[in-house]
Amino acid sequence: MNDTTAATRVLYESTVTGVGGQVEEFLGHGLLIFFGEDSPKELHDISVQHRPTVAEEGPRPGDTIVLGTHGMEILAVGDVVADNLLNLGHLDLKADGLTEPKLPGDVCVHPQTLPLLQPGDAFRIVRGGTGTTEVVT
Amino acid sequence: MSEYKSVRVTQGRGGWGGPLTITPTADKPLIYSVTGGGIHPVAAKIAELTGGEPFDGFKSSAPFDKIAVAVIDCGGTARVGVYPMKKVLTVDVHATSPAGPLANFITEELFVSGVKPDNVEEA
Repeated sequence: MNDTTAATRVLYESTVTGVGGQVEEFLGHGLLIFFGEDSPKELHDISVQHRPTVAEEGPRPGDTIVLGTHGMEILAVGDVVADNLLNLGHLDLKADGLTEPKLPGDVCVHPQTLPLLQPGDAFRIVRGGTGTTEVVT
Repeated sequence: MSEYKSVRVTQGRGGWGGPLTITPTADKPLIYSVTGGGIHPVAAKIAELTGGEPFDGFKSSAPFDKIAVAVIDCGGTARVGVYPMKKVLTVDVHATSPAGPLANFITEELFVSGVKPDNVEEA
């Protein structure tokens, strides 16, 4: 499909371990919240929990976030996203199409239906390589 | 019952809500830090001035009814709502305003943001 695989770098690689009861409802608002599986359990109901194996760097615009088999171009990244992600496994993904984040914890992607993840699914952030809609596996 | 003291926490620059008066009790002793990198300096100062017990929410979990205050470093969506929804006093070290799917639970009586250690004073 393309010849840029060699330039692709995985900044963050994780596996979904749990999906909270309110996650599906939030998808209707274009919102998906992640926390590391060691996060306090009161945060589990609203979030997808996951277990990272690579946590090198936070995202920046132009990177690709991959959820399961769904790849999305990152349009904007708030100021506290990297700290949240690397320290807590926390990320607020918003399908609001903004190129300037509304809140400091936001990662913005094009308006679209965000996927309902399942345990075992991938959560990955990639720099370079494939375009916005290709599956990266 | 003078084992614990009270502090007053006011909003910092660009912040929202409060001021909150925080008084731990024997039943609610925990200064609950739900932040990256251990106990946040704001939580440490609240604990020092009140005599409350600093508690790292990412190390172990605590029941809501033991929490005197939750200190968060939330970027505006998730944690800002979770603790006010449970009627737990909440201090955000980032200057956020009510937003996100739980915004309607965030009130000036329960929540204050933009807080630095200097915004924590003996009451």
